[in-house]
Amino acid sequence: MKLADNPFFVLGLAVDASRIEVEREAQKLLGMLELGFGEAASYATPLGPRLRTAEAVRAAVAALRDPYRRLVAELWARHAPPPRPEPPAPPAAPPSHDGLRRALGWRP
Amino acid sequence: MADTPLYVGIDLGTTNSAAAVFDGERVSVVRNAQGATVTPSVVRLDKQARVTVGTRARRFLEQDPTNTAAEFKRLMGTGKPIEFPAAATTRTPEQLSAEILKALRQDIADQLGIAIERAVISVPALFELPQSAATSEAARLAGFARVELLQEPIASALAAGWRAEGDGAGSWLVFDLGGGTFDASLLETRDGLLRVVGHDGDNFLGGRDFDWAITEHLASQLAVVPRRNNPEHSGALRALRMAAEDAKIELSRGERAQVTLAQPLVIDGREVEIDLELDRATVERLCAPLVDRAVDVCVRLMTAHGLAAGQLGRLVLVGGPTVMPMVRARVAARLETAIAEGHDPMTLVAQGAALYAATAAIDGRAAQLAAPAGRQVWLQYPAVSSDLTPHVVGKFVGADPPARIVLVRSDGAWTSADATVNPDGTWLTTVTLLPRRACTFQLEARSASGELVVVSPPALTIVQGLTIGDPPLSRTLGVALANGHVQTYLERGAPLPARRTFTHHTVETVAKGSSDSVLRIPIVQGELSQAHLCRLVGTLDIGGDAVIDTVPTGSAVEVTIELDRGGRLAARALVPAIGQVFEHVAHLLVPDAAPDALDASLRDLRRQLMELRTDAFRHGLGHVIEKLDRIESRLSEAERDIDAAHGGDADAAQRARRALLDVDATMAEADLARKWPELDQQARHAAISASSTVGMYGTEAERSLLQDVLAAIDKARRDKDAAELERQMRLAHRLSNAAFNRTPEAWEWYFEDAASEISKCRDLPTAQRLVTEGKAAIARSDNAELRRVVKALWQLLPESSEARKKGFDSGVR
Repeated sequence: MKLADNPFFVLGLAVDASRIEVEREAQKLLGMLELGFGEAASYATPLGPRLRTAEAVRAAVAALRDPYRRLVAELWARHAPPPRPEPPAPPAAPPSHDGLRRALGWRP
Repeated sequence: MADTPLYVGIDLGTTNSAAAVFDGERVSVVRNAQGATVTPSVVRLDKQARVTVGTRARRFLEQDPTNTAAEFKRLMGTGKPIEFPAAATTRTPEQLSAEILKALRQDIADQLGIAIERAVISVPALFELPQSAATSEAARLAGFARVELLQEPIASALAAGWRAEGDGAGSWLVFDLGGGTFDASLLETRDGLLRVVGHDGDNFLGGRDFDWAITEHLASQLAVVPRRNNPEHSGALRALRMAAEDAKIELSRGERAQVTLAQPLVIDGREVEIDLELDRATVERLCAPLVDRAVDVCVRLMTAHGLAAGQLGRLVLVGGPTVMPMVRARVAARLETAIAEGHDPMTLVAQGAALYAATAAIDGRAAQLAAPAGRQVWLQYPAVSSDLTPHVVGKFVGADPPARIVLVRSDGAWTSADATVNPDGTWLTTVTLLPRRACTFQLEARSASGELVVVSPPALTIVQGLTIGDPPLSRTLGVALANGHVQTYLERGAPLPARRTFTHHTVETVAKGSSDSVLRIPIVQGELSQAHLCRLVGTLDIGGDAVIDTVPTGSAVEVTIELDRGGRLAARALVPAIGQVFEHVAHLLVPDAAPDALDASLRDLRRQLMELRTDAFRHGLGHVIEKLDRIESRLSEAERDIDAAHGGDADAAQRARRALLDVDATMAEADLARKWPELDQQARHAAISASSTVGMYGTEAERSLLQDVLAAIDKARRDKDAAELERQMRLAHRLSNAAFNRTPEAWEWYFEDAASEISKCRDLPTAQRLVTEGKAAIARSDNAELRRVVKALWQLLPESSEARKKGFDSGVR
């Protein structure tokens, strides 16, 4: 699951949202998207705003109905940095990892 | 009644069909002209090609079998024409199903005085896409403007759950034994929402197997024994089977039944009188193994979800054969659960389909063409809601909308908060429903000066009750790749409608103007990662005579697969290099099942089975031997069906084809289990490697998730579950790769690996140029460029011809 597709971000809900709150929010968002409400068209993620589609909302609510998938989504959402309205700055130069692959035995 | 929505559900069954309507408060089963709630799925054409349907047609099954068709649902999607010699014509299974649907539509019109144009039709959970497409086509031929398909177990669950008192918390099972298929669904209801926890089934087990078991028992007692593999005996067997079915029904009430036929049967030129006695104990003995087979499926499903016998909250029985007292007693005893009473097993599916029509807001009535009076407003709300306070979203059409709006419940006891209408006409509010009731709300809009504005529509109705979310996809859908694997697009259980796009790359050139040059994108359905073990359900072809320019090898192709709520497939391929879109999906028919081809497949599978068994014995793999024994029994059943196929039974031929395909997939799993020691070793290495990589480079969430995966790997190793172990290993690899790909060295390593295979590349000059570019990118530490080079090199490496064959000659990777 990509971080930006996390069901809690897609629905704009906190990780402790009840099952009925999830259903209610999804129903509201689907209606708003169908009628072209501007405020429903995007959602905030730690990687910046993403486009919200009806498919994404349906997939999110289906994921949160399944107890195991909900647990995984909660885990990722809890450990994620807070959602940001703008895209992140480019990352700093990555650290060097000389000898990593040999240490792992990934190359003969 | 015509003023309120009317939701229509139809159970188009193999043996019997039924229709039900839901008016928001009550579900009623529609009675046919004979006053019955079920209509036999039988169609007769006389010599003037006049059509008779239902009970009247069923009477001709014995007298005029060649002009009377039954059980054609099992041939849906095969395109196989069914002959009616008296009228010298043929009809496809879709056309015959359309006749049944027309009859049910007429029954609804006669009973309610309303012409119906929209409905929900139930289909078996494991229907393939061509079969679903054929059902939609039958509905179109019957005059329906719009239909939605719903899986039968969900329909029965919805109907059973709708009446459940209280929360009905806990797991419950729907045991659906139809004429030709068996489905078991494990469900739970919580907060008024129905969830399908899992389902399993046997596509080759149904009431007709009961009938055949009794028929064969009766046949064995005759002076001349009719055989299923002899086309000349088919008439005699058919008559005997109908008598067996009648006797079975009689034995549901009494202890003994007489099997007699008015006319003697003619078998091999000899007249054979039929006057036999059958008792309940014999029928129970003959049918018990079949019931046990169904219960075994239930136990497998329950075990997979951690449930033992006696732990079910409810048990609901659906389908004609479940009326038999022996079936009810045996199922209840083995599952240690009392059967829920008060459900009609013959019409429960149709009732559930009608309830679902309400959930999906499919009003069955013909479209209202009356011009709207008042200010038009578009509304979005759930027609059925498990939530007591759902949202209503609206938008006024046109400029200068009203300023405020309230919704007033028709009982006058509740009014919504005053909602402000935005300048673009949009507004949002919540309403309060009464439990298990249909609530109508009047819309009262006011202008900025407080004047009442008449709006259209003036009111909306929401029913409070059990709902099910979007219908789930019953089988995973994907694209077969040139390496013989499957790129999954939509997973089983994905909510419909759904759409997904992936970018592939071509593995061969499509030459402009060449009609021989066709790039194939096969669309497959199935749960396994190898394409040849899935079912081909359609292809998207990019032909040389259709492209506006030559598409070279390695070109990107963006493929989008889309399924609507009814499971209808649409796909398109965009080739960005030439800016062209290809949308025509060749919907394949269910493959032909020629008896000779079935014989050859059976021989081949028996040979493979022998090899696997020898190997399993040699290595003392008890769990594999057990699995192979089950395969052996399936092959024996398939052999009997192939025998019947040689006797001209097209339905048996289709059963055999599907059984062989299932056996092939089970054999692949058994083969995997045979390689257990090797797999076990790989799993240990995967766990060590993933722990090391994710430990060093993973994020905190990846590390937590890996702990779950490692626990699942441990469990799969303990349970010796090869398929689950493979799945968990893939997850561990994915996590490991995600962490590893973050290191700059990863792409350097991939580059060296790809460059070492350069001699195998299709376009050597391009590959050499890419290797030079890659080395330069490493020298200047340009990781993004290196990544591009590696991906381009991967596109040039070939796939083996064997793999392509297994991937249905796919032209993409």
